Amino acid sequence: MTGAIRTVPPLAVMLIALVAVAVGSSFMPLDRVIAALFGAGSRADGIILWNIRLPRVLLAALAGAALGVAGMLLQRATRNPLAAPSILGIVDGAAVGVLIFFLLFSNDANALVVSVNWQPLAAAGGALVFAATVGILAYQDAVSPMRLLLYGVAMAALANAIVVLMIIAGPVFRASQALIWLAGSVHTADWREVGILGMAWLAVLPVLAWIVRPLDQLRLDDESAVSTGLNVTRTRIAALVLSVLMTAAAVSVVGGIGFVGLIAPHAARLLYGTRAAPQILGAACLGAGMVIGADLLVRAAFQPLEVPAGAVTALIGAPYFVYLLIRQGRAYA
Amino acid sequence: MRGVVIGGVLACLALAVAGLHLGVRVYAPGQVWAAVTGAADDTAAIIIRDLRVPRMALAIVVGAALGLAGLLMQSVTRNPIAEPGLLGVNAGAAFGVVLLITLAPGAPFATIVSVAALGALGAAALVFGLAYSAGGGMSPIQLLLAGVTVAALLIAGMQVLIILNETVLEELIFWLSGSFTDRPLTGLWIAICGLAAGVGVSLALAGALDVLQADDATAQSLGVPVVKLRFGLLAVAALLAGLSVALAGPVAFLGLVAPHLARLAGAQTHRELIPLSLMFGTLLGLGGDLMARFILYPTEAPISAVMALVGVPLLITLLRRNRLRVT
Repeated sequence: MTGAIRTVPPLAVMLIALVAVAVGSSFMPLDRVIAALFGAGSRADGIILWNIRLPRVLLAALAGAALGVAGMLLQRATRNPLAAPSILGIVDGAAVGVLIFFLLFSNDANALVVSVNWQPLAAAGGALVFAATVGILAYQDAVSPMRLLLYGVAMAALANAIVVLMIIAGPVFRASQALIWLAGSVHTADWREVGILGMAWLAVLPVLAWIVRPLDQLRLDDESAVSTGLNVTRTRIAALVLSVLMTAAAVSVVGGIGFVGLIAPHAARLLYGTRAAPQILGAACLGAGMVIGADLLVRAAFQPLEVPAGAVTALIGAPYFVYLLIRQGRAYA
Repeated sequence: MRGVVIGGVLACLALAVAGLHLGVRVYAPGQVWAAVTGAADDTAAIIIRDLRVPRMALAIVVGAALGLAGLLMQSVTRNPIAEPGLLGVNAGAAFGVVLLITLAPGAPFATIVSVAALGALGAAALVFGLAYSAGGGMSPIQLLLAGVTVAALLIAGMQVLIILNETVLEELIFWLSGSFTDRPLTGLWIAICGLAAGVGVSLALAGALDVLQADDATAQSLGVPVVKLRFGLLAVAALLAGLSVALAGPVAFLGLVAPHLARLAGAQTHRELIPLSLMFGTLLGLGGDLMARFILYPTEAPISAVMALVGVPLLITLLRRNRLRVT
């Protein structure tokens, strides 16, 4: 029974991805999709599939998976089931980094003077700075995981104010670009962005494989974990840094798609249990499914307008967060 | 205390007068005087009379209303980080207004105010209801997290509404960033009446609010109808927040900072805290408005962002003091 349930999410994600490739401003039946995939379909089908739909779906999948895993690492490292990249100010910090990058390296004609491929690095820098600030603030009174969330909320508000000021101060062209990007959407996807995110994934995979075992040990309390031979502090910091970097990579290409990093790990834990390896795979799978699904939903429901996918994930994710909050409150009361 | 009050009032006056003089263009006192008394009719006079005086009035009313709303929320919930912006009440009002403008563009200001107030009430009920049902009384943390999440939800809803209706996009984006510039003054009288009523009610209940600062059981045994008082005053706070959102868009952190400044100044009973919060709210409104003109000179900055720059350090300082009950 449980085995059958576990195979549902990967199959569902594949199905959603297939539908997402088929549905758009012009519907493409399955046989034409397959034909175009192998270069046998009509020229128009091939262009739509290879230049528009495929990068969009792939980008959504890679970004969603990255956000899901980042959230899972964050929740494990802080031992806080409510921790999520969008709540801890990491997403807004990445936004600050990207905007500073836009402002610093634009010339008078509003063109970037350096390669846009540096943008993820700028996002990572901003995310790391804000995450480190939250970490340092919370470290000094490390007693409470809830306090961490509060510092995160405060720093997110600060980052948000800086973003607003920079958008207004910057050139108009950059401002509209930044607004579209901030709202979190994948409709401008191209292969370059898929490439950036794919490389980021390749880079973190070995680290992820290494950290799976320590993460299982980290589930014990600190003393027991130490007695199993684990360097708790180092593992925790490694998991946090990895989480921040993965969030930054995803945010730098798709913008602020919130709440995926919160929900995907939770659902993964419900479905796949608390072992780290299956939970990571599950979180990646469910995160990818969430973002592809949200993007599909906005495409199908609001055609031809481009509503950002981030709005949909927030509309679904925020109520779930409230539910978790209430449940946790009851558990403490 | 007395020194603080005199200094604060003088600072308010000075900021108000400075706000008439300073901006993208700086005017001499003579020009300002001529414009205000109606003696002159040149460009300078028009700018001062039709742009700077209205935004000064708005800054005063909105600042005072948010300061009082913040104080009421903090006192009633005994929660030092309660504030209309952080608790999602402003977002509720804003969502109401966005919905109204999308469904019925060009609605009269009285309608906008009532819808904003309704939205604020709804959001406040939702957030406090959630925090209550989370158990453990109203832990500040639960409350704040519930507020931030409800705000995120409402903001996502607003995003969808705005994108679905591009005709109102420009108008709304400008209004949503929170600013005192170019706002219609038609509704100012409604807002002033609302503010006066709010001040009257809270001053009348100042004694009960003092008693409520002990615990609920003590207050109850001293004859304070705790539940009624709490919900009544939360409604007043939500209405004040709704009014200010209808006037100036959502402005966060002002309602957090003003009551804390009042406490720092030495006010203890609510008979002192209420006027001082009003005064510091006004001061912050006027000061923030002035900062908003220069922080990105010559572009105008949204007041909300300016307030966040002041408010976040304060919030962090408050969190670092171990006064907060944390689960």
